[in-house]
Amino acid sequence: MAADEQTDTTSDERSTIRVLFVDDDASLREVYRIRLERHGYHVRIAESADDAVRAVHQERPDVIVLDIAMPERDGLSALQEFLDMDPSLPVIIHTAYPAYADNFLAWAADAYVVKAPDLARLFEAIEKAASGRRDG
Amino acid sequence: MTTSHEGPHQTLAIVLAGGQGQRLRPITERRAKPAVPFGASYRLIDFTLSNCVNSDFRRIIVLTQYESLTLQRHIRQTWNILSPEIGEFVDILPPQQRLPNRWYLGTADAIFQNLYLLQQERPRWVLILGGDHVYKMNYARLLDAHRRHEADATIVCVDVARSEATEFGVMVVDSRRRVRAFQEKPPDPAPMPDAPEHSLVSMGIYLFTTEVLVRALVQDAKTPRSTHDFGRDVIPRLIADHKVMAYNFHSRSQPGPPYWRDVGTLDSYWQANMDLLARHPEFDLFDESWPIRCGLGNRPPAKICVSTEGLMGVAEQSLLAPGSIVSGGHVRRSVIGPRAEIHNGSLVEECILMGGVRVGKHVQLRRVIVEESTEIPDGTVLGYDPEIDRKRFKVTESGIVVVPSRSPF
Repeated sequence: MAADEQTDTTSDERSTIRVLFVDDDASLREVYRIRLERHGYHVRIAESADDAVRAVHQERPDVIVLDIAMPERDGLSALQEFLDMDPSLPVIIHTAYPAYADNFLAWAADAYVVKAPDLARLFEAIEKAASGRRDG
Repeated sequence: MTTSHEGPHQTLAIVLAGGQGQRLRPITERRAKPAVPFGASYRLIDFTLSNCVNSDFRRIIVLTQYESLTLQRHIRQTWNILSPEIGEFVDILPPQQRLPNRWYLGTADAIFQNLYLLQQERPRWVLILGGDHVYKMNYARLLDAHRRHEADATIVCVDVARSEATEFGVMVVDSRRRVRAFQEKPPDPAPMPDAPEHSLVSMGIYLFTTEVLVRALVQDAKTPRSTHDFGRDVIPRLIADHKVMAYNFHSRSQPGPPYWRDVGTLDSYWQANMDLLARHPEFDLFDESWPIRCGLGNRPPAKICVSTEGLMGVAEQSLLAPGSIVSGGHVRRSVIGPRAEIHNGSLVEECILMGGVRVGKHVQLRRVIVEESTEIPDGTVLGYDPEIDRKRFKVTESGIVVVPSRSPF
């Protein structure tokens, strides 16, 4: 897949990056899990904001990829809680809606990626966020 | 340029009313500092809220935290004067505690935790105020200056003698009043460029362009070891890459030096009340051009009368709130709250009596602060012997006795 070749990180480095992927859509979760793992990341899945909070309590990921529009509790409210748990924990907002980028609550995220078939931007954001962690 | 009232209407004023007022204990034991009674008829927050309304800033959020019941009740009863149907409001907001078991960590955190409010309101500017200072200020002029300078943030400062600036946050400014550095309680405060014997100290009032504020709060939230305080953390970081201006506070409508008091201690609280008693005080409650709203709408007038024993009540150089009665007592240089009573043969001198205090017969009080609804029995003497008083009550360094609410005698 073309996108897999586009990032500078080696597959060894990627396998050390632990991604928590949060999305309420079951089929999307499965597709992303497969593609992120194929790209070399270590992937965990959460199906709601509260599920994601529990997952972070259990084991801190290197990067959270967070959907916004979810039933019960949206990703923006979880974002503040992640920041409160650990201000250095990188969060990438991953949404189908470009308009959320204008929402002040979204400004607390490290990156904003609109869902697209080509994952190049998401990979790039994940690696940038994770490298910030390693350097820090 | 828009018309003059549009700026204020596009601004959200946020009053930080969560301070515990530790140094004002015991009078802040059961109420937040902004709810502390002041000047016979008012509570501290009335000064800030009056400034807002007088300046045409009518979108106001009050963020509360500790012991906020009295404060909430007061705001609801006194400040229910704006028109929500045209977008005006005074909203009181306790911590949402959307994060588990979590109070505000600092002034910046208080706003960060309520970021959704800024998103909801989408103001162009945000005015951040304390709820416990005594001053008169037209915030519209501050906004004008902010816009004129195309500033990202403007900090309201007052100039004080350099020797007094060591206790404050000091702004280091250039000749155009752009802030170049910030000193927290410096031993050697930076002088003002045009007044070498004075320093500019921050009053804790900030006007931000909203986007700048949001980015600064996010950055602060992500900064390890930040104390999440505007003065200590947010402003110093902002100075490096943003246009931060100092705005020199001048008292509105009163000539002479500007009056601004943070009544942070019992002694300064007592003194600020006594300041009001002069014929022409520096801070004038009787200034009709800048009315201070109080919550004492429907009360009878103050009454000074002859007691049943035949002694004439006397009040000199004092402020008496509506509903108070001096019946055969003598009140001198004191501040008397609503419904307080001073009875036959008693002498009340340089005291602050809060609402509903009842001073019995032949009582002598000198330099005493008596909290609300306390009954002082006949024959009580306080304020004459600090050693005796100290056994029962708090006595400050300068000798002010504080009698907490409903103290038993």
